[in-house]
Amino acid sequence: MNKKAFALAAASTLALTIQAAYAQDKPKPPPAWHQGKPPALAESKLAPVPGKMTETSAAEIPIDKMKLPKGFTAEIWATGLVGARAMTLNEDQSKMWVGTRGIGRIYEVSNEGGKRTVKVLAEKLTQPTSVYANGALYVFAIDKVLRYDNAAKGAAGQPVDMTQAFELPPEQHHNWKYVRVGPDKKLYVPFGAPCNICEPPTKEYAQIRRYNLDGTGKEVIATGVRNTQGFDWHPKSGELWFTDHGRDWLGDNGPEDELNRLSKPGQNFGYPYCHANKVVDPDVAKGKKDACKDVTLPVTTMGPHTAVMGIHFYTGSMFPKEYQGVAFIARKGSWNRTKKLGYDVVTVKAGPDGKGAKITPFATGFMDPKDDSFWGRPAYLAQLNDGSLLVSDEQLGAIYRISYQK
Amino acid sequence: MLTALFVSCASAQSEERLKACAACHGADGNSTIAGTPSIAGQPRIFLENYLVMTREGIRGTDVMQGLLKGVPDRDIVALAVHFSKLKPGTPKEETDENLFRRGREVAAKNRCASCHEKNFQGREQMPRLAGQREEFLAEAMLQYRQNRRPGGDTLMAAALYGIPEADFKALAHYFSRLK
Ligand code: HEC
Ligand code: HEC
Repeated sequence: MNKKAFALAAASTLALTIQAAYAQDKPKPPPAWHQGKPPALAESKLAPVPGKMTETSAAEIPIDKMKLPKGFTAEIWATGLVGARAMTLNEDQSKMWVGTRGIGRIYEVSNEGGKRTVKVLAEKLTQPTSVYANGALYVFAIDKVLRYDNAAKGAAGQPVDMTQAFELPPEQHHNWKYVRVGPDKKLYVPFGAPCNICEPPTKEYAQIRRYNLDGTGKEVIATGVRNTQGFDWHPKSGELWFTDHGRDWLGDNGPEDELNRLSKPGQNFGYPYCHANKVVDPDVAKGKKDACKDVTLPVTTMGPHTAVMGIHFYTGSMFPKEYQGVAFIARKGSWNRTKKLGYDVVTVKAGPDGKGAKITPFATGFMDPKDDSFWGRPAYLAQLNDGSLLVSDEQLGAIYRISYQK
Repeated sequence: MLTALFVSCASAQSEERLKACAACHGADGNSTIAGTPSIAGQPRIFLENYLVMTREGIRGTDVMQGLLKGVPDRDIVALAVHFSKLKPGTPKEETDENLFRRGREVAAKNRCASCHEKNFQGREQMPRLAGQREEFLAEAMLQYRQNRRPGGDTLMAAALYGIPEADFKALAHYFSRLK
């Protein structure tokens, strides 16, 4: 057979195989990636809530709609931070850095003389976040790690590229990172499951890791974590508490989002087989006995699809005594649910061992249940040295300050 | 007087900009150039997001980045409003029935319409796929697969997990033939 004829023959077999594949009527079972949209929801039109990628001025923010307990007031602290998420501050709080997702920016906010000015420190990054510690600013994008060594008075100079050291896996979905430096001076970095529900493609996902500050000493400290968006260390026990998003497409009422507590490194938090308070996954845990065996259950569930984000244990002196050591948690609000839920900041009061957790609404009024409309989506929290609490609003690209006066 | 001058200057600039867009995307927003998408009738929020990402240097081609460099949000919004109001063109007639059927099946099985709307006309941040250029759609799906279409919600790339690349062709064919 000459070359041309061979190529022709090969091309026609290829065409035949393709046609055969198309002619096949019996649908193959969906790959694990697709599981999780049951036929009952085939016509569902639920879709993520669109973010806003343009600036919102203070005059356009209906801050007076925010409702707080008696004695608390809210003010607009900073604007112009499109897509604002996690906040990190230097020691004297003259500088703050704020990360984003789609717009790819890290903002540097100067907080001087009672005024805030905003500049873009880094841009064109894939969903970057940042954390300040001991004079350095660490920037984590999904596919890149940068360090500004000289940041105590504002990040200066060119960053050092530390990407290689961290062994970041390639999948991007659910891999925006909340990053902190722990009391042990290590970097804590989460790697979400790159799907709604699946057996992750490799062992690099659905976990929280910690590293030495230079990226050495990688250690997986929690597994079975679908998509944590925030953590903090308990002021008494020093243990890591973290939020985690429940899976989608199992209906309006579950499985609920979680607040978890890591009492020893290596604990398994259940994903993908066991969600919330022992909800066995109907897609991937089929026929699996003991799906919840050895799974560490949450301190409390946090409501279905509420999108629990940042957590902050209050340690300031401004708020009344009953708020000491209480966890403030931002719930950005649901999309995979026919009626909106969340869109608020709640407090969780619990023992240091996580027992007796009680959830109480704190900042509400971002969403109007009457018509399901909303104006803001609280995402992260930070405490100022005077004891007031900052809340970032990812939707309007703003930061609000909540203070208390007797 | 000064403000009047400024306003007319700004609008002259946006006229120029619209002309530049038309050179590639068509005067009515419906492209006749391979690889260049039609943008008529896309949802306003989708357009806004795309144009902001392009201005930021995250998305789009060098030429578009050049055209949008330093353009303030309000002019981006005006561009988005303009193109969202234009009428999408009529899709190509000649259709490969097998490919079309396969595309319809894959789209149904994967619930693409839950986000992109029943007739794939798009809504809010989710683009219109109906009547879009076939080769552009196929290439966009490949880009999502290969992490080459940054900036958007990663849910879109996740929606394509497990779909073989051969089916991207079928999906693209199907969407491109819808009104
Ligand atoms: C030199 C040709 C050229 C010019 C001029 C141009 N574009 Fe584009 N545009 C393209 C190409 C090619 C793409 C596809 C790039 C991609 O895959 O994102 C594109 C993509 C887009 C998209 C994304 C559409 C989609 O469905 O994803 C939008 C919106 C857009 N352009 C708007 C504009 C606007 C507004 C202008 C004028 C300010 C403009 N373009 C000028 C070539 C051009
Ligand atoms: C969870 C919601 C969601 C689902 C489900 C979804 N999409 Fe998308 N899709 C989006 C969003 C949002 C964008 C725009 C993202 C961006 O800007 O990159 C998009 C963009 C696209 C584009 C690029 C079009 C353009 O003009 O730029 C194609 C093609 C596409 N989707 C095809 C599909 C197919 C095929 C499926 C089903 C397998 C699907 N989508 C399912 C949300 C979704």
